[in-house]
Amino acid sequence: MPCLEKKVLEQALNIQIEVLEILDEVLSLKGRAQQFSAATVLLGALPELDSMGVLGVISALEERFGIAVEDDDIDGTTFSTVGSLVAYVSGKLNPQVA
Amino acid sequence: MSGEAFFLPADKGYRFCLFTPAVGRVEKAALIYIHPFAEELNKTRRMVALQVRALAESGYSVLQIDLFGCGDSSGDFGDTTWETWGQDVALAFQHLRQRTRVPIWLWGLRAGCLIDGVSAPSLPEKVNLLFWQPILSGKVLLQQFLRLGQAGALMDEAGAKGTGSRLRAELAAGRSIEIAGYRLSPALAESLEKAVLVPAGGGDVSLIWIDVVRREVADISSATTAQLANWASTGLRVEYQTVLGPAFWQTTEIEIAPALLDRTLATLEKAA
Repeated sequence: MPCLEKKVLEQALNIQIEVLEILDEVLSLKGRAQQFSAATVLLGALPELDSMGVLGVISALEERFGIAVEDDDIDGTTFSTVGSLVAYVSGKLNPQVA
Repeated sequence: MSGEAFFLPADKGYRFCLFTPAVGRVEKAALIYIHPFAEELNKTRRMVALQVRALAESGYSVLQIDLFGCGDSSGDFGDTTWETWGQDVALAFQHLRQRTRVPIWLWGLRAGCLIDGVSAPSLPEKVNLLFWQPILSGKVLLQQFLRLGQAGALMDEAGAKGTGSRLRAELAAGRSIEIAGYRLSPALAESLEKAVLVPAGGGDVSLIWIDVVRREVADISSATTAQLANWASTGLRVEYQTVLGPAFWQTTEIEIAPALLDRTLATLEKAA
């Protein structure tokens, strides 16, 4: 289904743009997040991402994407990179694809 | 304009209060401010101070009280109970009523709104409510606490998988848990789990509810819509507004939402 794949790819790009906006706002990065790529390491590399930061990002993701983050989803692998966070949101939005 | 800081004698010690009187001759109304918890309390001090000043300059007095186990009041957060906090609101009300005859508002931020809402019906008179970005469910508040614990565990190498269940299991076993430097007792957790806000209105009182959003949204969430309808059904005059601004109660740096300051004052002026 190449058509579906293209759609998912486009959606992933849009999700990444929104995720970066959220990181920038919640973590007060003042535009630095716009330089991030999917490979950018978050947890452990970004000092602003402390426990309150994680909580703020989760709340913002829930609000912006209308998803419900489960207790077990709050995991080191989810927050490890920009790419893993985007993949997590995509998975929540498209459970059949993930 | 300067605030008057003092300690109110209370059950199990004293409560730290800050009273900021209305500037000028006309006092339009008086507000009791109830703070949010844990790290949100620290993050929001600046916004609250700015609002208190703007209110005072426009003829509103404000009494800020640190609840038991919070801020500069007696006690340890881990020893508090839901009932103690309710008594603290009643204490603040009694004190403010001795100072003034003007209408009283309970103003809350985040979890402070839940405490306001739960306490209001047992006060000796009907009061108005001002909610900033309210958390109105104890269950949600407890979940936020546990999430903060999980997020903290993320910072330790091992990762946080299972931390949420582990924390809940500790509470269920009757043991306190420690989250971000705050001890949460099983008794408080249980009260939170059960705390349901039953809107009590009637009389000539208002509810002003203002949410801070990151961008214009077309729809109010269904949970908020249901809550608003619930409040309105009690005969309360309900005014819901949104303003654009940062989520200042949780942003990494201390941020302010100027639109919230202006809108709060403007909406109060119309209602008071």
